[in-house]
Amino acid sequence: MHKWLIDQERMRPSIAEPAIIPLYISKIAEEKMRNHALSKAHEKLEVMGLMLGQVFNHDGVEYTIVRDVATTDLDASSTRVRFRRDGFEKLFASMDDVGFDHLVTGWYHSHPGHGIFMSPTDVDTQKGMFNSSFHRAVVIDPISKEIGAYRLGSGDVEPVPFVIYWEEYQNPYFGTTVRKRKLAD
Amino acid sequence: MSVRVRVRNAETGSTVDMELEEENTVQEIIEGAAGYWEKDAGAYVIRKGKKLLRGQQTVLGASITHSDDLELIPDPEGG
Repeated sequence: MHKWLIDQERMRPSIAEPAIIPLYISKIAEEKMRNHALSKAHEKLEVMGLMLGQVFNHDGVEYTIVRDVATTDLDASSTRVRFRRDGFEKLFASMDDVGFDHLVTGWYHSHPGHGIFMSPTDVDTQKGMFNSSFHRAVVIDPISKEIGAYRLGSGDVEPVPFVIYWEEYQNPYFGTTVRKRKLAD
Repeated sequence: MSVRVRVRNAETGSTVDMELEEENTVQEIIEGAAGYWEKDAGAYVIRKGKKLLRGQQTVLGASITHSDDLELIPDPEGG
């Protein structure tokens, strides 16, 4: 369980049987989002970026995978954040650098010291842009060290459970082989 | 002279082909594509490769040519 999970998520009953989780976030994407939020925490500035990934369907259940994130220079305060008008080309380069075909599967931003929730502005953004069934939003408070994920439900945003996974190449044991030790005669 | 371009929605991967005139503006392309996907045009920008296309540029001025691939990118606001 992620140590930054909000209480609401900690109290969610654990899944007894294997089930499809609505959102899978790669370790590298989670670290980039968290470190981005932490980098501006001392100034109490919000950060933001786009989540890049893919959408899959298993037995009729849709789930979203966030493999990486992209961001750029920001116009930010403690309560508002947008991409800088002159920062888009850096954003595009960041999107193209991920090295896999992707959709913009959602967005992330931070609430430094304000807690985890979707503000009216955030809800407007979710409804206006990220309103497909697979779109997700991640909110991080780098000061209280909390993280949460949301999607648009029946007309409003609702929290969703998520898991962090290791991409195979990120596995610390990737590429190593366990060899049988040769026994002495 | 008209040019035919393909606009990709970065959020869904779907595409729409648009027939443009040289005097059409980038803003009109955004409005056309956003309208097609029932999105708010004010919340999007459009790119050609790594280049941001400015709203008031014309097709001719932005060097948009036949068979170009453009992409509609969300410009979110957090609060």
